[in-house]
Amino acid sequence: MTRTAGIDVGTGAVKTVIFETDGAATNWLIKRVDRVRQRDPYQLATETYHTALEELGMRHGDLDYVATTGEGESLSFHTGHFYSMTTHARGAIYLDPEARGALDVGALHGRAIRMDGRGKVLSYKMTSQCASGSGQFLENISRYLGIAQDEIGALSKQGTSPEKVSGICAVLAETDVINMVSRGISAANILRGIHSSMADRLAKLIKTIGSVDGVVLMTGGLAHDEGLVAAMQEAMRQEKVQWPVRNHPDSIYAGAIGAALWGAFRHEKLAREEALEQAA
Amino acid sequence: MSTPVTEIITVTEIIARCQALFDDLNFTYAREWKAAVPGRIVVGYMPFYVPRELIHAAGGLPLGVLGGGEQLEVIQGDAYYQSYICRIPRSTIELGVTNRLDFVDAMLFPSICDVIRNLSGMWKIMFPKVRSRYFDVPQNFSDGVGGTFYIHELTELREMLAEASGRAVTDAAIRASIALYNENRALVREVYAFRARQPWKAPSAEVYLLMRAGMVLAVEEHSRMLREYLDAAAAADRPRRDNSRVVVTGAFCEQPPLNLIKSIELSGCYIVDDDFMLVNRWEQSDVSLDGDPVANLAQAYLHNSANTSAKYEPDPAQKGLYLVAAVKRTRAEGVIFASPSFCDPALLERPMLQRVLAAHDIPFIAFKYAENSGQMQPIREQAGTFADSIKLWSTP
Repeated sequence: MTRTAGIDVGTGAVKTVIFETDGAATNWLIKRVDRVRQRDPYQLATETYHTALEELGMRHGDLDYVATTGEGESLSFHTGHFYSMTTHARGAIYLDPEARGALDVGALHGRAIRMDGRGKVLSYKMTSQCASGSGQFLENISRYLGIAQDEIGALSKQGTSPEKVSGICAVLAETDVINMVSRGISAANILRGIHSSMADRLAKLIKTIGSVDGVVLMTGGLAHDEGLVAAMQEAMRQEKVQWPVRNHPDSIYAGAIGAALWGAFRHEKLAREEALEQAA
Repeated sequence: MSTPVTEIITVTEIIARCQALFDDLNFTYAREWKAAVPGRIVVGYMPFYVPRELIHAAGGLPLGVLGGGEQLEVIQGDAYYQSYICRIPRSTIELGVTNRLDFVDAMLFPSICDVIRNLSGMWKIMFPKVRSRYFDVPQNFSDGVGGTFYIHELTELREMLAEASGRAVTDAAIRASIALYNENRALVREVYAFRARQPWKAPSAEVYLLMRAGMVLAVEEHSRMLREYLDAAAAADRPRRDNSRVVVTGAFCEQPPLNLIKSIELSGCYIVDDDFMLVNRWEQSDVSLDGDPVANLAQAYLHNSANTSAKYEPDPAQKGLYLVAAVKRTRAEGVIFASPSFCDPALLERPMLQRVLAAHDIPFIAFKYAENSGQMQPIREQAGTFADSIKLWSTP
């Protein structure tokens, strides 16, 4: 029995999970997601991790491997760190065994990942620096429009004639939105336009990673935005990409799940190689 | 009864001193060293190797000039070079024309590439009062040919240094200097061996700064610092990570930004060997103190020196095997080729070295940098995914 934690320190939220694994059998013991909200993400991650342990009646020493991902490499108590591509690929397969592609859309970046059935990354591409395709941008716009974040998806799906928004530059996109507001465009159509613009970029990104032999699972915080998921499915149809895109109720945990599961894999690999002290 | 108090220097204090030396582009330590005793000289040198023993024996301070790094804004230096030339000659010119090297009595430009050779000529024209020398090294490793040539080269350098310092550079003085540098190199080897054994106790950015300090400090002081670091690092309580062990190669001339070294380690790699400052560990074991000291230096270069892309390898069958040996010696799991953009010696050799690694099933990745590169995210992504692939998919 191997006990591992996965901590995904993102720009917008810290996700923590703890797993028990025994060979192929996995038992997901706990999950936590905490919004950063201008707090120190490392302090938040430390507190969240210890709260999760406390809820399970465990101590840090009870875990065999504490794996971080995202921006978590500076956490002082981690055993090992895995990169987001690696963890989202593994987490996507855990959540949806048919997944052979992952589309991680978080607060700052979008990443398209293609993997094999073991979760080994075969290729990946990231969006460029500009934030116009990111969750942070969407969050800013919803704040300007006075809309709560959990209303965005449903409202966007009500849009009937979406307005085109710049997909290249966040500054231009914000200018577009200001113009739309002054022209009296409804919030639903503005949001749907933004979702369409983001989805266009992400669909093009997916096309660059090669042929996906299965489902593309959306992961990261924006995977729960039903408006974006619908826009993604539409964009994939328009781009004539045949791979189905879908999400999962626990998509936001994909990075943390992948970290915990790779931590268990690594722990067992080191044990087999009699190099366990390496992960002390 | 009072007990004697032993001053214990911490890793933090040692590295803070190294960082201050690294950041000081006015070379205050070297200026003060020279001003402390009349008649002292400071001799600048560029990567990858010069016989520092001869400079020391002439009563001089060898001063490593490794470009301007990321802090120096190059304004005038850019006017001297085309855009497809690396950054180190531009920033070195900038150091010169902004009078940051105005206390340097002589400059040595080792035989590393055409750019540095041309820089030696430019230095003569731009700074006519400074003794500038293109320091040639043998490409033929037989004693009768390369050895004879190199002894002649060393003798000319010895004469130049005697003229610059106004004192004879005696055999006895050279032997004494060789002894000091033997000790220094042994300590450098010990630091590298310590890091290869316990890389979590000697982070690469620290080891880098420690070795950079050796470019500026008097050898006696640097050796003391190395001893103190070994004691302090061994005593330090630092967490051990499940990182991949990598060798970094190709960075022997223009230096990477310190953040790049930190980024590689942060991304999940322990650097267990590198070629950042080869001059500190060029001779791989002690140079003999018996007999003719100049001949001994030549012998050490021909038969007992480090391998690098900047050194000719006459036997194609031996090409790159030094890298395989470094991987085995340090129990590394992969190699990162990190080379400056436009670095001919590193980049032209790289495909040949990669072929050798592939033949030995050693994984590798490659990227380029400039000494002022600021964007580390791509490096972190690349090094991080490399570390992941080693940890998850490599076989022992």
